[in-house]
Amino acid sequence: MALGFAVGVFGVLILFHAAYSTIQYRGLLKIMEEEFSGPPMNVVAELLLGLVFCIWAALTVPGKFLSIQPYSEENRIVSLPANSDFMIFNHRGKVFPLEMDVKLKH
Amino acid sequence: MVSKTEETQLSNLETQVDNGGGGAWEYLCLVRKLKVRRSDRVLKHGLSILNDPKKRSSLGPDEWTLYEQVAVAAMDCQSLDVAKDCIKVLQKKFPESKRVGRLEGMLLEAKGAWAEAEKAYSSLLEDNPLDQVIHKRRVAMAKAQGNVSVAIEWLNKYLEIFMADHDAWRELAEIYVSLQMYKQAAFCYEELILSQPMIPLYHLAYADVLYTLGGLENLQNAKKYYASTIDLTGGKNTRALFGICLCSSAIGQIAKGRNKDDKESPELQSLAATALEREYKQKASDKLSLLTAALKGLKVSS
Repeated sequence: MALGFAVGVFGVLILFHAAYSTIQYRGLLKIMEEEFSGPPMNVVAELLLGLVFCIWAALTVPGKFLSIQPYSEENRIVSLPANSDFMIFNHRGKVFPLEMDVKLKH
Repeated sequence: MVSKTEETQLSNLETQVDNGGGGAWEYLCLVRKLKVRRSDRVLKHGLSILNDPKKRSSLGPDEWTLYEQVAVAAMDCQSLDVAKDCIKVLQKKFPESKRVGRLEGMLLEAKGAWAEAEKAYSSLLEDNPLDQVIHKRRVAMAKAQGNVSVAIEWLNKYLEIFMADHDAWRELAEIYVSLQMYKQAAFCYEELILSQPMIPLYHLAYADVLYTLGGLENLQNAKKYYASTIDLTGGKNTRALFGICLCSSAIGQIAKGRNKDDKESPELQSLAATALEREYKQKASDKLSLLTAALKGLKVSS
């Protein structure tokens, strides 16, 4: 969690650094009076690295993925709840009372 | 709905609590959340919390929920004195509450005082004629007295108003099955599958009803619904696997007399038989011979 968050912050910093280098590069091109044809290689590499880091952080930091398959252990329904709204009390529990001295004290 | 993970969690907590390992409150919360009926344990562990003033006050407002839970559990265990005490405490805290009034009606039911319970419920219904739980309690009361036909009548009336209540549909289906009125039960299960199509147990119950009805068309439909149960459970439902085998065998016997071209693919049944054999080999290898003999009798194993 903490590691993922740190990587995410690092990725965003790299992206900012790429933006800063691009601006600096364009300033340099203006001084040298050349046409802008594309960003330099190190900026492209930084962008790709930042992208990978940010994606990795975004997938790990928010939490675990939940299964959407109906037959996975979390989703597979093995029993229905007791229909407690229709619960009736005259069952065999009446004939076999609980061997417990229970009492609510106040 | 109880999923596989929740079931294991519940049984783990149960053994922990029964062996005095603590976690009683978590167990009671889980029982409430999953709506399972463990009245004896709820009564025992719930009372141990309620009788301990320090534990009880640490629950805060949840204390009253626990009183209600313990009261219902006590009625289920026929410990009517405990239920009466719990309801008394609740009544002191919430006078004029409908929910406590319902509990009092249930206490009368547990005592077997049907006429008085009926009176209590009708007076509650006068104040609020659309109280779903009280309508259901009246159905349950009719069932408890053995008047199943009255229960069916009331349940049908109730379902005309509250059509989306799947618990009531399920109850009606179970009552119809108990009376062997399978056509009506099949209708109820169709409603349940329509409202909750992702629950394999309704598909399974519907298939069981269709198989019991018999006839070529019903058997073919039953096989389809057993297959959809297998699809939804990933083949972990043994009953559905057996169902496929039984349906195929029954369809084969019916189709033998007629000279129709066989459209049924034999793959499904042999796959089901193999899956069954594998599961038995894993979990109960000593009973494998019984299974192979039974499958041979059905002529489905390859």
